[in-house]
Amino acid sequence: MSLSQGVEAVESADSSAAGPPEEAAGGLWRDAFRRLRHNPTAILGAALVTIFVLVAIFAPLLAPYDPKVADLSQIRPGDFPGPSREHLLGLDSQGRDELSRIIYGARYSLLIGVVSLAVGATLGVILGLIAGAFGGWVDSLVMRLVDIMLSIPGLLLAIGIAALLGRSLKSVMIAIAVVNVPVFARLLRGSMLAQRRSDYALAARSLGVTRSRIVLQHVFPNSLGPVIVQATLALATAIIDAAGLAFLGLGSPDPSIPEWGRMLAETNSLLATEPLLALWPGLAIVLSVLGFYLLGEALREALDPKLRR
Amino acid sequence: MRNLRRRGVIALGLAGLLAGTAACGGGDGGNDGGSGGDEAGGTMVFGTSSDPVSMDGAYVSDGESLRVVRQLFETLVTTEPGGTEIVPLLAKEWESSEDGTSWTFTLQEGVKFHDGTDFNAEAVCANFDRWYNFKGVQQSASVSYYWQTVFSGYAKNEDPALGTSLYKDCQAQDGKAVINLTSASASFLSGLALASFSIASPEALTKYEADKVTGTGEEPRFEGTFGTQNPVGTGPFKLETYEPNNRLVLARFDDYWGDKSKLDKVIFKPIADGPARRQALEAGEIQGYDLVDPADLGALEGAGFQIVERPAFNVGYVGFNTAKKPFDNIKIRQAVAHALNRQALVTAKYPPGAEVAKQFMPPSLFGYASDVPEYEYSVEKAKALIAESGVANPTIEFWYPTGVSRPYMPDPVANFQAFSADLTAAGFTVVPKSAPWNPDYLNAVDTGGTGMRLLGWTGDFGDPDNFVGTFFRTKQTAWGPLEESIYTDLEAARQEPDEAKRTSLYEAANKKIMEFLPGVPYVHTKPALAFAKGVEGYVPSPVSIEDFSKVSLSS
Repeated sequence: MSLSQGVEAVESADSSAAGPPEEAAGGLWRDAFRRLRHNPTAILGAALVTIFVLVAIFAPLLAPYDPKVADLSQIRPGDFPGPSREHLLGLDSQGRDELSRIIYGARYSLLIGVVSLAVGATLGVILGLIAGAFGGWVDSLVMRLVDIMLSIPGLLLAIGIAALLGRSLKSVMIAIAVVNVPVFARLLRGSMLAQRRSDYALAARSLGVTRSRIVLQHVFPNSLGPVIVQATLALATAIIDAAGLAFLGLGSPDPSIPEWGRMLAETNSLLATEPLLALWPGLAIVLSVLGFYLLGEALREALDPKLRR
Repeated sequence: MRNLRRRGVIALGLAGLLAGTAACGGGDGGNDGGSGGDEAGGTMVFGTSSDPVSMDGAYVSDGESLRVVRQLFETLVTTEPGGTEIVPLLAKEWESSEDGTSWTFTLQEGVKFHDGTDFNAEAVCANFDRWYNFKGVQQSASVSYYWQTVFSGYAKNEDPALGTSLYKDCQAQDGKAVINLTSASASFLSGLALASFSIASPEALTKYEADKVTGTGEEPRFEGTFGTQNPVGTGPFKLETYEPNNRLVLARFDDYWGDKSKLDKVIFKPIADGPARRQALEAGEIQGYDLVDPADLGALEGAGFQIVERPAFNVGYVGFNTAKKPFDNIKIRQAVAHALNRQALVTAKYPPGAEVAKQFMPPSLFGYASDVPEYEYSVEKAKALIAESGVANPTIEFWYPTGVSRPYMPDPVANFQAFSADLTAAGFTVVPKSAPWNPDYLNAVDTGGTGMRLLGWTGDFGDPDNFVGTFFRTKQTAWGPLEESIYTDLEAARQEPDEAKRTSLYEAANKKIMEFLPGVPYVHTKPALAFAKGVEGYVPSPVSIEDFSKVSLSS
């Protein structure tokens, strides 16, 4: 640890104590970003996430073939053409270009991950905000509801909801969103409780600032740190859950849609003859999830005041 | 259609037991499973996809149960090894009265049941009377499916939808069994070869309470022990032990009246998972298994295993519900037929030997017409027909089942994807619909909920009525309304006693069906079995009437 870093830390701590809370939040983020930049794990995570997002967005430009167009002419039972110059990752069981399907698969993973997370986190944050802001019986009611939801294992809950809603991308998104609601509600509420008892909240109150203004403008923004970290980690889980649901056959009813989980499930019976076809979607899932996970962990370390050096 | 359902139940229900069977998979197979080394004898372990539902043939219609029943019991007549021609078994010879309503069977002599009692005409009549007098749950289609298929009804029908029974009575006269029918039926004799009409020891049926069945049609409970622990027939094997989910051991019946079994024992070992069966064969835990995945054939053959193919006796088809738009429009049906590249699918996804189907029954059966309208693959013709149909932007609800593998459809998802791509190329908008095979998919089909669907049929006995008759002889919600004359023509063909006339009637019916096009048949495939080196004498049968007593092992 360098001296300058130590000084900065002291300075930022000073400013957060002295200045208004908004500025302190900004300082915290600037600080966190600086720490991230020096963390190789974070760089690797960010790189993986960037690649994943770019591939997802520019899939139509990157994919050499249409991922849905099948051509059975080269396919024989138990014998599909492997990697070649025309098809870098070979052909799948329907004669479609595997590379194009992996590339388009990133789109579906990102879409499901982001949408389900946005919906789940928003609902969770609203619930957590209500619980944290009002306290008392409202808090008890919301938190018992959250406890009930948390008592069911996440993937099991997702499977149940997806199965109930029928096979579609939408029901997968809803299922994963629901699983995320209690996690975020609890996180925000806990974080807000801690902030409410802090000195700056007390100071604001003593100056006669209204309760709603304290909660919305001071406590809430300062409680968001852990939520952001959780969101990054939850995106990793969402991708795995989406793949898991597709693997179990709960994704879209159109089997030509290139979802990584479904692609993996399709190779289940082909492991003996075409093991590479199981490798590609597996690798894609692992790398994208690893990216979000590494980035999330690094973010958590960077934002954790106890780890400040 | 019912037997499809029953077979599906087993495939799905037993999937849950996968963990259990896999856990038992390692241990005991090897000990019993050796080739024995004796000149004759030895034990063969055969991998099955599930345990039998019951060993009482009257109550089962799924392949795994019937396989076991055929080793323990015998029927009056059977099919020639490897074919569908009817040959004698417990009945030496038979003749029918001129009007075809009275059949006299002369029986083999000196035949004994496993419990030592004598097989005779009284025993035959006792069995027929037992089936005829089924009550309550026994009358449900899922329990006595084949009795309903061949004989329609019972002594006292409890469901008014059941027809009048074809069976009238049975008399034992001077050692001969005379079976009287209420009307002539050309498919009666072929039907008797079904293992469901196995002759059981009347004494054992009573002693082990074979008729004690409770529960519901969907979930019957067999309370007696006849079907689980004490099946007593005249077959070349008798039951030694049955441990559900682990193994079912048959031992040679030494007082068998015919050629005694070459094997000392046959063990049926349930392994629900297809890839696990292949691994068990490779590991030497089993010496054979059925319904080999087409994708595994090459690898198994390359590793020195024997592949035995059954003659093609099935049909895979794309079915329409003509009550649903746009399938009420003949041009749309024809457009679909032209749009599907059936040859490409069959070459890519079916084992060598599979052929593109032109009609709803296999070529080996009499009544197969050589001059039905054919709908060759042509995207242009499909597009032209869509234009002629007057339906703008035709949208198709296309259904496929999940969680199932059938001989005519090893991988339904693959078939769906190939056809779906073909249809899209021809200008259709395909809405994918899927459901688990049992019960959702089959229910959706039976209730007419599927506009267009993937399905198929494996023949039970060598008669066209078991193919086109099953589909089109009666009005069915699944198919929607067909041309009226198709129903009447098929009914007439069923009742026609003269074989030559029947053949031409069925040929004409097949042409008419393919002109009307209630669906597009696309494949007849040859399901394959795999055996270890040294297994000899297994004769594959188109209707799966296969005798393990002729099998021998050499090391």
